[in-house]
Amino acid sequence: MTRRRVFGVAVQGLGGAATAAVLLPAVGFALAPVFEQEPELWQPVGTPEDFTSDAYTPRVITIVEDIGEAGKTTVYVRRGDPGLSEQEPELPPEGANDFIAISTRCAHLGCPVRYVQAASNFICPCHGGVYDFQGKVIGGPPVRPLDRFQTRILDGQVEIGPRYSVTGQLDPVRYRDPGEFTGGIWEYLYPPRPSVPPAP
Amino acid sequence: MNRAEKEQYLREYEVLKKKGKPFFPYAVLKDSAMMFVVVVVVVAMSLVLGAEQGPKADPTTTTYVPRPEWYFFFLFEVLRVIKPPELVPLATIGIPTIAMVLLLLLPFYDRNPERRPERRPIATTAGIMTIVAMAYLTFLGAAAGSPTEIEMEVEPQYEAGREVAAGLGCLACHKFGENGNSLAPDLTHIGAKLPANAIERTVRVGPSFMPPYEDLPPDKFDDLIDFLSSLQ
Amino acid sequence: MKFPQQLIPGPLKRPSAPGERGNGSGNGNGNGAGPVDQLKEVPADLVGWVDERTGGSGFLTGMLYRKVPKGTNWFYTLGSATLFAFVVQALTGVFLAMYYTPSADEAYASITHLTNDVFLGEFVRGMHKWGASLMVILVFLHMGRTFFFGAYKYPRELNWVIGVVLLILTLVMGFTGYLLPFDQRSFWATVVGVNINGTGPIIGPYLSDFLRAGPEFGATTLARFYAIHMLLVPGLLIALIGAHLYLVVKLGTTAPPWVSAERKPKSLREEQV
Repeated sequence: MTRRRVFGVAVQGLGGAATAAVLLPAVGFALAPVFEQEPELWQPVGTPEDFTSDAYTPRVITIVEDIGEAGKTTVYVRRGDPGLSEQEPELPPEGANDFIAISTRCAHLGCPVRYVQAASNFICPCHGGVYDFQGKVIGGPPVRPLDRFQTRILDGQVEIGPRYSVTGQLDPVRYRDPGEFTGGIWEYLYPPRPSVPPAP
Repeated sequence: MNRAEKEQYLREYEVLKKKGKPFFPYAVLKDSAMMFVVVVVVVAMSLVLGAEQGPKADPTTTTYVPRPEWYFFFLFEVLRVIKPPELVPLATIGIPTIAMVLLLLLPFYDRNPERRPERRPIATTAGIMTIVAMAYLTFLGAAAGSPTEIEMEVEPQYEAGREVAAGLGCLACHKFGENGNSLAPDLTHIGAKLPANAIERTVRVGPSFMPPYEDLPPDKFDDLIDFLSSLQ
Repeated sequence: MKFPQQLIPGPLKRPSAPGERGNGSGNGNGNGAGPVDQLKEVPADLVGWVDERTGGSGFLTGMLYRKVPKGTNWFYTLGSATLFAFVVQALTGVFLAMYYTPSADEAYASITHLTNDVFLGEFVRGMHKWGASLMVILVFLHMGRTFFFGAYKYPRELNWVIGVVLLILTLVMGFTGYLLPFDQRSFWATVVGVNINGTGPIIGPYLSDFLRAGPEFGATTLARFYAIHMLLVPGLLIALIGAHLYLVVKLGTTAPPWVSAERKPKSLREEQV
C-alpha cells in the first residue's frame, strides 16, 4: 500500500463519482419520457345518430394536448353491425349500440390511410397496404389490422378514448407501434412499456 | 495480408511518396478548385431550385402521400416490394443492419493485398452491382406514384373513366402503367386481353377478394368499362 | 510553375535543401531598408512572433509540405470536397438556427418568416437544403473512390471504419434535420422513419419512444430532434472528422492502384519533381 496506489484509486473513485453525478441525471432526463404515463383522454365526437353502420365517418380528435394541430389525428367512426358478426362468428361480436373507431395510422409504418367508400376499403399511399371494411389486412405489407380506439357513450355523446392494437382475429391487445406484430410470442418480443396503457 | 506483404506494401509506398509532389501547392490547388465547384453548385441550386415550403404538417390528413427525402428512396422502394408481412422486419431492420455491418467490417474480411480493380474481381463486381442496385431502387422509388392517380395518357373521351378508376381505389391492388400495386392482375393492357362484357362482369361481381362494384351509378360504371376496354 | 517563395512568411517557408538558398529566411532588416521595405517585413514578423510562442510552424510545414504519392489525381479531391460541404452546412445551419423556433406550434411559422421576410433567408435556407443533398452525394462518391482504389486495406483499416461511421452520422443528420421545417413531407417521413426503428424486437419500441419522447409524436419530439441535429451529432462528426484527418495526414493517401513503384526505363530523362 503505497501513497501512489492510494492516490490512484482515489482519483478513479472520485472521478467516477463526479462523472456519474453529471451523466446519470442527464441520461435519466433523456430517458424519462420512455417511462412516463400519459393520462387517458376521452373526447366527445357526436351523438349516436351521426354514425351509420355501413360507412365510416371521419372525425378529428386530439391525442396529444397542448401542441395544437400537431397533436390531432383523424378517426373513422361507425356503428356496430350485428350482420357482420353473423357472417364471421370467430371475430369479436359487434352490437348495434357498439361504436367502432378505426385509426388512420397504417399498421405497416404509420402513413395515413384513407377510406375509399366505393370499395369499402382502406388503402395506404406509402407502400401499398390494403385493408377491408373491418380493418383486416387483405393485401400489402401491413403486419396486423388497423388499430382502434376505445369508445363509450356518455351523456348521449359518443366518446373516443385511448388507442389499442388488435391481433389478426381482432382481439384487443395493448397499443404498439406500427410494424410490430401482435399475438403469440410477439407479446414478449415487443415487451409492455410503462408509457402505453394496457389492453381494454 | 501477412507480414511480408505488409512490408512490401510499405516499401513500395515509400518509393511512390518520394516520387510524388508536395501537398502544398499541387494537391491543395486541386482541392481548392473542387471546393470552388462545390460552392458554385450549392449556390446555383439554391438560386435556381429555391427552397419552397410545403404545406404545414397535418397529422389528421387522409389524402397526403408521404415520401422520404431522395437519398432514402432505395430503402423506401425495398419496403414497397417486400409484400409478405412476415418479412417486414427483415426489410426495415434486417437489411439495413446487415448492410451497415458488412460495410463497417469490409477491411477485415477483404484480406486480398491486391488493390488494382481489375485484379480484385469479387470486390469490383460486388461494388458495381451494389451501386447499380441502389441506383435502380432509387429511381424506382422516385417513380412510385400515389395510389389515387393514374398517370398514363388516354384520349379525352376516356378521361372520365380514368378518374373513376383512380378514385375508386383500384390502384390499391391493380397496376395501370407505372402506378398501382401488384396484388392483383396488371390492367395496363386489359382491353386487349378481355372483351368488354367480361370486364363488366368482373367489375360487377368482384372475384376472390376484389369487392363488387355493382352499386356504382350507371354513368360512372359505363365510363369505367369504356376506359378499361380502351387499354389495349 | 513554382509558387514565389518571397510571398511566404519566413517560418512557413519550405525547408531548403543544403546549399539551396544563400542567406537564411525570415526577419531582420537587410541592408539599408527604407520604411516601405520595413513594412513588408511586418507580416513575417507577426508570424514569427506567433510561432515563437506556439511552435506551430513545424506542424504546419510538416502538413503542408508533405509529399503526396505519385499519380494523385482529381479523384482525391472528393474527401476535402465533402469536408467543405460539411463546413457550408455548419455555417448555414448556424445562421438558420438564429431564426428557427423548435416548437411544434411555431416551427413552421418561423420558417415562413425566415423564407419570406428575412433578407437572403430563402437563399440561405436553399443552400442548407441543397447542400445536404450534395453532401450525401459527395460522401458516397468519396466512399466509392476509396473502395475501388483499395484504400481501405492495410494500414488504413481504422480510417475506413471511422469513415463508415461518418457516413451513418451524415444520414442521421439528414434524417433529424429533415423534420425541422415541420411541413407535411417532414412530418410523415419522420413518422415512418421512427416506426422503422420500432420494428426491431425487444429494444425497438424503447428506441422509438426515446426518439419521439413518448409513445406518440409529442411536444418535446421536435426539440429532441433539434438537439440531436444541432448538438449531439455535429459534436460527434467534428470529433470523428478530426480523427479521420489525423489518420490521413499520418498514414498518407494511397497512390492510385495502377501506379507501380518500379522504375520503368521509358526514357533517359530525369523525372521532374
